[in-house]
Amino acid sequence: MPSLYVHVPFCVRKCSYCAFYSLPLGGEGSERGNIFKYLTGLEREIEYCYTEAPAGVSSLFLGGGTPTVLNYQELDSLLKLIHNRFSFRSSVESLSIEKTVEANPGTIDQEKLAVLRHYGMNRISLGAQSFNDDQLQSIGRIHTSADIELGVKLIREAGFINLNLDLIFGLPGQTMEDWKTTVNRAVSLTPEHISIYALTLEEETPLGRRYCENSPSKHDNASLPDDDLQADMYGWASSFLNSQGYIHYEISNFAQAGFEGRHNLSYWQGEDYLGLGPGAVSCLNGIRVKNVQDIDLYRNNLVSGAKSLNNGEVEYLSQNQRISEYVMLGLRTTKGIKINLFEEKFKMNIQDIYGYKLVNYIDRDILSLEDGWLKINPAYLFVSNLILQDLIL
Amino acid sequence: MAQASSRIRNFSIIAHIDHGKSTLADRLIESTGTMSTRELKEQVLDSMDLERERGITIKLQAVRLHYKSKDGEIYELNLIDTPGHVDFSYEVSRSLAACEGALLVVDAAQGIEAQTLANVYLALENDLEIIPVINKIDLPSADPEMVRKEVEDVIGIDASEAILASAKMGLGVEDILEAIVKKIPPPQGDDEKPLKALIFDSKFDSYKGAIPYIRVLDGKVSKGTNIKMMSSGKLFEITEVGVFTPNMTIVNELKAGQVGYIAGSIRNVRDTRVGDTITNAERPATEALPGYRKAVSMVFCGLFPVEASDYDKLKDALEKLQLNDASLMYDNEVSAALGFGFRCGFLGLLHMDIIQERLEREFGFNIITTAPSVIYRVNLTDGTQVSIDNPALLPDIANIVSIEEPMVRASVMLPSDYIGSIMELNQEKRGTFLNMDYITAARVNLQYELPLSEIVYDYFDQLKSRTKGYASLDYELIGYKEANLVKLDIMLNGEIVDALSFIVHRDKAYARGRKLVEKLRGMIPRQMFEIPVQAVIGSKVIARENIKAIRKDVLAKCYGGDISRKRKLLEKQKEGKKRMKQVGSVEIPQEAFMAVLKMDD
Repeated sequence: MPSLYVHVPFCVRKCSYCAFYSLPLGGEGSERGNIFKYLTGLEREIEYCYTEAPAGVSSLFLGGGTPTVLNYQELDSLLKLIHNRFSFRSSVESLSIEKTVEANPGTIDQEKLAVLRHYGMNRISLGAQSFNDDQLQSIGRIHTSADIELGVKLIREAGFINLNLDLIFGLPGQTMEDWKTTVNRAVSLTPEHISIYALTLEEETPLGRRYCENSPSKHDNASLPDDDLQADMYGWASSFLNSQGYIHYEISNFAQAGFEGRHNLSYWQGEDYLGLGPGAVSCLNGIRVKNVQDIDLYRNNLVSGAKSLNNGEVEYLSQNQRISEYVMLGLRTTKGIKINLFEEKFKMNIQDIYGYKLVNYIDRDILSLEDGWLKINPAYLFVSNLILQDLIL
Repeated sequence: MAQASSRIRNFSIIAHIDHGKSTLADRLIESTGTMSTRELKEQVLDSMDLERERGITIKLQAVRLHYKSKDGEIYELNLIDTPGHVDFSYEVSRSLAACEGALLVVDAAQGIEAQTLANVYLALENDLEIIPVINKIDLPSADPEMVRKEVEDVIGIDASEAILASAKMGLGVEDILEAIVKKIPPPQGDDEKPLKALIFDSKFDSYKGAIPYIRVLDGKVSKGTNIKMMSSGKLFEITEVGVFTPNMTIVNELKAGQVGYIAGSIRNVRDTRVGDTITNAERPATEALPGYRKAVSMVFCGLFPVEASDYDKLKDALEKLQLNDASLMYDNEVSAALGFGFRCGFLGLLHMDIIQERLEREFGFNIITTAPSVIYRVNLTDGTQVSIDNPALLPDIANIVSIEEPMVRASVMLPSDYIGSIMELNQEKRGTFLNMDYITAARVNLQYELPLSEIVYDYFDQLKSRTKGYASLDYELIGYKEANLVKLDIMLNGEIVDALSFIVHRDKAYARGRKLVEKLRGMIPRQMFEIPVQAVIGSKVIARENIKAIRKDVLAKCYGGDISRKRKLLEKQKEGKKRMKQVGSVEIPQEAFMAVLKMDD
């Protein structure tokens, strides 16, 4: 059973580090016309592909962009489209279906939250990023730390009991003290889940360009924390969050017991997923398709009856690529890869695939193989690429 | 039939690098109408790209010119080029043996250089007629009279008729051609005698097989002749005979005194040994020509393919290079760090550089070169002596009584202003002063006995930088001497990397070890663990640096939308690692293996 992801490609404005497909939606002007195009397209897309999940979907993630930049009527339309066609079925009997929506401070109000609750959305992932207002501004965020606190208050008042806060470290000019303050303030809001992401400079973003090797302005900008400092920030946060009752369950993710993100875990466990919306990616039975990343093409293709939304971006994964991805994703989690699941899935013995390599990592205490689980020693999570690149087939 | 050869002249040009040899050769080709200016792109004799880039001749080339002399006769002039660098004196002796005369080209502003001198002596040993040419007289700083005196004083030949020339301006070219005809004796030899031809060079052609370049001494050879290689007794039928114009041009036959090439489906490169004598299989000569003494390899290093699977291809490439370059030696080598490769012997550092570069350029290999070594003689406690050209193979210290190293007699010609600085350099290089001659009031010839290993290390660079490029060097091996030598090993993460070991004088071991360890720390990228880099002698650590562990290399985010991209990132990272050599648990970039040599900063 796949999970369901719906991409909402709109933001108030684009943050300088963000490489996701998203359109700025400043005022109430003509830009809002895009939302109509989007909903028209999405309706068609759902009609075409809800049959891809005949047994239903295991979770819902409404991501972006900023889904909550839609007004409450638009949100209502969107959720109605989804719930009309998809049935939700938990992969674990006793658990309720996880339905997450991403939100940004400054874009939520009681009405929107009520609509979300109405459709059973039960988890909110709030893009807090930092509690330092200068740093928030420097990366193009629209909100202040006070907006975060207000947002959390509204979310709690609306009855959400599963809240995630996203935080970024390694921001320009950020010190260890800044970071500690941010994490402390996040924890003081008692979210059930916290994600901490090392800032990734993507080439095609303004921030990436500002800090790329050849940028003339590179030296005029507040310097980026170096790798050693970032590693220290990560290490500190990991142990601090641990001491506050958050379990480190994936490279960048921490949660109170029972609040691990189940939708995201399904990616890391190599489950299929259905992605809807412009720029969204689906992966079903080893075929990965990326939807066209253009709101007009997206809508026009669908309205004119073209079921296939890809722009030539179809990938038929080879057995080796599937294994590589399974390992790359599975080892992100602190539980690791369950060997018998791996072998059931690929009909191959993992030792036969990696042979001496695996033994070598285990001997060096970099990987461990215990009780049928293969995992990366947590001390190496922040350098996990060094191991993963070696395990890519 | 001796008449035919009376109108043949075989000559070579002896000159220091930059003294204008290639330009002069071009002028000779041009003014004899062998090639038009347009055809003569630039300096046709330096036909290897590498040669043109470096402005030097490596591989000797030959060309036939037709010159109508003032006496009305047309002469066939065969120019056989010689390399001008100290590493290649063996090649020089090959080309000189195929000639009766040589042009000695000396720069009018700079005078005689050490290597020129060595080559002139070689020519005199071969009884060649020497025609002095003072070139570049158009330069403002030219002092032809001073140079003329230098030639007489230093070489001891009559330079009163030295030709003043400017190859660049075309001055004196006619005089040179006339002098070649008048002064250089025609080749001796008899067309009617059994064939006797000297192989002075050879090259490999993928269609025609191995092609020997020959100088016919007696007899003649044409298509259909059955020949015999006198050293091996192997027989071949000639399918093509030709000359160099300078392109290979087919002719009917080559007769006594002439220079050209032959082809005969000679598949095996080993069958055309330079220095061998070719004779007629049906009517063989009784005695072979003296041939050449074997080229002495002075510098050795390991060559390893980065991709282990390239081993066989590398072997083929070395074999092909060896056909064109008999002075290149190679043997199998197995390194714990680098796997299977070859131990190669070279005439000198330049030679080594060139072979390495040709392997990379012409054959497209990615190779790792280990630091060069000389041959040491090791006296063992059981009374025996072993020669080693690979430091990694030095016997256990407990079994060594003493180590001897090769010594050279080095001549450095330099402006007298720099005497102090070069004496100091020679001192640092463990040299012993032998002699100093004033060539003129402003120039000296400084002679030292020096360990070859010190020359191999960074002597050339030092010499050049300390004299602003005005010094020239020549050296010859004079024997072995015992010295207080030790093997210095490099340990990475506690394990000796055999390919980084070298032998060094005890007094210098500490400084060299220190420098190398610092250099390696800078070259080896940070890895998952902290890596101690240690220089050790025996079990004693003399220097240590740490390469700090890498602390961040992570995909911060990886959800449904970026899985493909992240997988590709890892694939790219894996690809990048291929340029590194895994030694134990440490990944070492290729360049690090040469770090031992390049520590002159």
